[in-house]
Amino acid sequence: MTRIGVYVCHCGLNIAGVVDVEKVTEYAKTLPDVVVAKHYTYMCSEPGQRMIQDNIKNERVDRVVIATCSPRMHEETFRRTVAEAGLNPYLTEIVNLREHVSWAHTHEPEKATEKAKILVRMGVARSRLLEPLEKRKVSVEKSVLVVGGGIAGIQTSLDLANAGFRVYLVEKAPSIGGRMAQLDKTFPTLDCSACILTPKMVDVAKHRNITLLTNAEVTDVKGFVGNYEVSILKKPRYVDVNKCVGCELCTKVCPVKVPDRFNENMSENRAIYIWSAHSVPKTAIINPSYCLRLKLNKDVCGKCQTACEANAIDFKQQPETLQVRVGGIVLAVGSEVFDASRVAELGYGRFKNIISSIEFERISDAAGPTGGNILSPKDKKPPKTIVFIQCVGSRDKRFHEYCCRVGCMVSLKQAILAREKIHGPVKIYVCYIDLRAFGKGYDEFYRRARDMDIDFIAGVPSEIHSTPDGSLYFDVYDKGTNKLLEIRPDLVVLGTGLVPNSDLGKISTLFHASRSSDGFLLEAHAKLRPLESSTGGVFLAGSCQGPKDIPDTVAQASGAAAKAIDLLSSGEIELEPLKAVVDKDSCSGCRICETVCPFMAIEMKPEIVEGQERFRAEVIEAMCQGCGLCGSACPTGAIKIQQYSDKQVVTQVQAALSEACAEGGK
Amino acid sequence: MSVRETFPRLDIELVDLSEVICCGDPVKSVNEFAANFLAVRVLALVNLTGQDNLLVPCNRCHFTISEVQETMKNSKSAHKIIELLKQEGLDYNSNIKVWHTIDILHDLVGLEKLRQAVKKPLKDLKVATHVGCQIIRYSDLQRVDDAENPRKLDELINALGAETVDYAEKLDCCGAALTRSHPDSALSLAGSKLKAVQSLRVDGMVVSCPDCQLMFDARQKEAGTTVGTKLNVPVVYYTQLLGLALGIDEKKLGLDLNQSPVDQLQAKICV
Amino acid sequence: MAKPNFESRDKILSKLKGKELVNCFQCLKCTSGCTALKLLELKPHEIIKLVNLGFVDELPSSDIIWTCVTCLKCVQRCPQKASPYHVIIALRNLAVEKEAKVPETYMKIVSSILETGLAEPPQKIVTKKMKTVDRECLKLPKIKPPRESFQASFMKAMEEK
Repeated sequence: MTRIGVYVCHCGLNIAGVVDVEKVTEYAKTLPDVVVAKHYTYMCSEPGQRMIQDNIKNERVDRVVIATCSPRMHEETFRRTVAEAGLNPYLTEIVNLREHVSWAHTHEPEKATEKAKILVRMGVARSRLLEPLEKRKVSVEKSVLVVGGGIAGIQTSLDLANAGFRVYLVEKAPSIGGRMAQLDKTFPTLDCSACILTPKMVDVAKHRNITLLTNAEVTDVKGFVGNYEVSILKKPRYVDVNKCVGCELCTKVCPVKVPDRFNENMSENRAIYIWSAHSVPKTAIINPSYCLRLKLNKDVCGKCQTACEANAIDFKQQPETLQVRVGGIVLAVGSEVFDASRVAELGYGRFKNIISSIEFERISDAAGPTGGNILSPKDKKPPKTIVFIQCVGSRDKRFHEYCCRVGCMVSLKQAILAREKIHGPVKIYVCYIDLRAFGKGYDEFYRRARDMDIDFIAGVPSEIHSTPDGSLYFDVYDKGTNKLLEIRPDLVVLGTGLVPNSDLGKISTLFHASRSSDGFLLEAHAKLRPLESSTGGVFLAGSCQGPKDIPDTVAQASGAAAKAIDLLSSGEIELEPLKAVVDKDSCSGCRICETVCPFMAIEMKPEIVEGQERFRAEVIEAMCQGCGLCGSACPTGAIKIQQYSDKQVVTQVQAALSEACAEGGK
Repeated sequence: MSVRETFPRLDIELVDLSEVICCGDPVKSVNEFAANFLAVRVLALVNLTGQDNLLVPCNRCHFTISEVQETMKNSKSAHKIIELLKQEGLDYNSNIKVWHTIDILHDLVGLEKLRQAVKKPLKDLKVATHVGCQIIRYSDLQRVDDAENPRKLDELINALGAETVDYAEKLDCCGAALTRSHPDSALSLAGSKLKAVQSLRVDGMVVSCPDCQLMFDARQKEAGTTVGTKLNVPVVYYTQLLGLALGIDEKKLGLDLNQSPVDQLQAKICV
Repeated sequence: MAKPNFESRDKILSKLKGKELVNCFQCLKCTSGCTALKLLELKPHEIIKLVNLGFVDELPSSDIIWTCVTCLKCVQRCPQKASPYHVIIALRNLAVEKEAKVPETYMKIVSSILETGLAEPPQKIVTKKMKTVDRECLKLPKIKPPRESFQASFMKAMEEK
């Protein structure tokens, strides 16, 4: 005989505004085994919780049914409440009267109240069959895998390493630094990007708690939160990192020219090269698709080997695979820049003087292809008219609907830099739709741009053309003056937005991290859990979760580190007991459960039974997510899902239909 | 005329409809429902012939009929149109493929077949193309060619041995839609484009729509006056050029009906 | 201040396939590329905004809605798929309904279609060599007129709003 307490929450007016909570409470009192039935404005509040605890202590309530909002909101809260009063927390049942009733049937209060009654009846029926369960503790690795070595990955790694965690930082490029290393200056302070970034990069390389793996990729992830087994592939550099001193003698003698990716293909590098001026590690690397010896697999060239005084070239270097065990993973894989040639009418790719914003960064950078001089790519002379065009590929149903968040600030910065760097008269225009300068110091930065004689046109052009002699021209209508402006620029910078990494499909699968509809990685809750992915133990940092600027990236990176520390610092975690459990005596070893399990959480273990080897299913508790597929697939009923046994579920269904059945058995 | 002459030589049989009516394009501005009715009626007439493919040599008609196929999929008044047609004994068939001269030649016949059929390669001929507006836009409606970089007409001309040139004004509109309500503006648009083509020093301009041809060819003189330039650009519809390359007699291609100086173009070919 | 009329606006919205007209955020791309802007001052963005804010009543009687060249560039390039062209067509239909000023040519075409099925009767052409030809001379097939039931059908179609 159970003693059931039913608590109906008003949730302010959220539930009570539609459902007649009094009627539901009165109804609950009529159900068998219900000894207490109350309603209250906010059950999750302190007095609400105390009400439940008092009833547990004084009225010896031993099953608690709370009719309130979604269990996703407060199930944990109420379990803790119940546990504090000395009752097993898994003897709690949440009935959803908000998302399932008041929010879904806002305009039908009478029917909503009837539905609420039925749901409570179902909850009560099930609560009779709930069993006490215990959480289990597993030990966890106090180490973290950080995927991606841009500013997000760098910040997260330093925070974790400083907190005493071992960090494996995996970066697919030959150097860490990411996008931030490609920037000239950063808004709104106009700090030199490399100057504020490189000290952190060096810290990462030197930190005794960080294992830096560049030119590497994660190839496999097994295990579960707290106990991940990760395979990392170190691709060969064909250069011994312990011997190479970064002198670049090899680069000077290599005969093969290769487009320089760091400079967005605006200059040339060699088949053996150092990633960039601020590379960390500052070690050479050979590109096997271009190197004559490696591409042709013949004993040719080898000039770099001859020139190298440290004897560091190793054409026979092989890829290496590392296996590491980590407790948590932070995904900081960054994003890519929108390919403006997709907006064919703007002429990117057809006309040399039309460039993207990242290409402008490289031009502006003193370490870039033009030595920091702003020059029109066509004639290599300083431009007399520069136009920035916003929202290229963003806020556009044809490409990406979202706002890229950084485009306006980037163009303001670049316009200001152009004004500062080019001597002599230059007309600088920014064609915008809405100018977004939302952060700290950002609107002041916008004002600074206006102070510097930068003209803002409220409108964007439809197309850009070129005369036969190569001069660009376009028309744009300005909202403010109501005039059609005919512009003849010698440099057009397209404000191209950030888009999801083309790798994200692979990453999403590898790490079980879902993606949102815009293609970026999905956070656990848009408002309250922006640093965690949908999978426990996998955290998100930086623009892989959504386009963002450096301050937001650094904040999120440190936050992700804190979350990982929170999860792993005690050295153990508790596992929810709502898992599958096998009754070995009923298991026939048919393996159906192993096949259907999407989390690879079932192992077939051999046993000797009556002299014969039989296989029995065993659930790997830590990996089991309690989805129930095995339970419904098992032909003998040997697998039971805790709190979701066949009996518990069928009882709920019967309770749903019971009164209808009772009414004259029709 | 040139369509009727050239297509059979490429193994395409053309079947005329039992009734000839307007596709409904000009009626759109008056009553969209009635315009849709007309376009659907054309498709119902195609249904009578038992053919699955409709050839529409005009850009505006092609757009109108293609758009109505989309409209009929989810319009609230689709059933009303079907009802009206039923009362006339006509049935709407939604499975008819609507072609234009350009894509039926480029995609169905194919460039290889065209090349092999050429008897008089148009060597040393250089032309500008004007593919028009309504067969390249809007791309959500699966048009005949790409909206920003249409290449099919160029490739069809290259297959005949001639060269085509790119120019900034390539996608500019001929202005035909305004020809009756705002004649000066229409002529100004046509004239500006012709002026630009003239400065390319090409042997002519090839169009793919009779409405555009009306502006550039039949009204070239007036257009020239409107923009203050003496215009001297031979303008032909694609199949007229195709016909010449296939060795068909010029009279059968309607070339003596063109008002622009097409004899200059012919002279270059027949040399 | 001029008074908006949201009923008229909703009427326009109901004539359009989708509701994207309300998504317009005034980027001005349509007007920047409008073929009819320089010669006839057509500003598609302005028309969309006027409709959005309910200032619909002044538009059907204006001259500006008849200046659109139907080049479809605005439909092609709009980042929010607001399609000014379709809005202008809907406004033209409204002008006809309200019997506001409609360029003569359109009503002439409608009469012609009613009578013969064609927008214009087949013409005779004068060639450059000053010869007059018609379809028969050119050995082109006869234009077959629509069946008798067409007139009534088309008239019924014209009565739909």
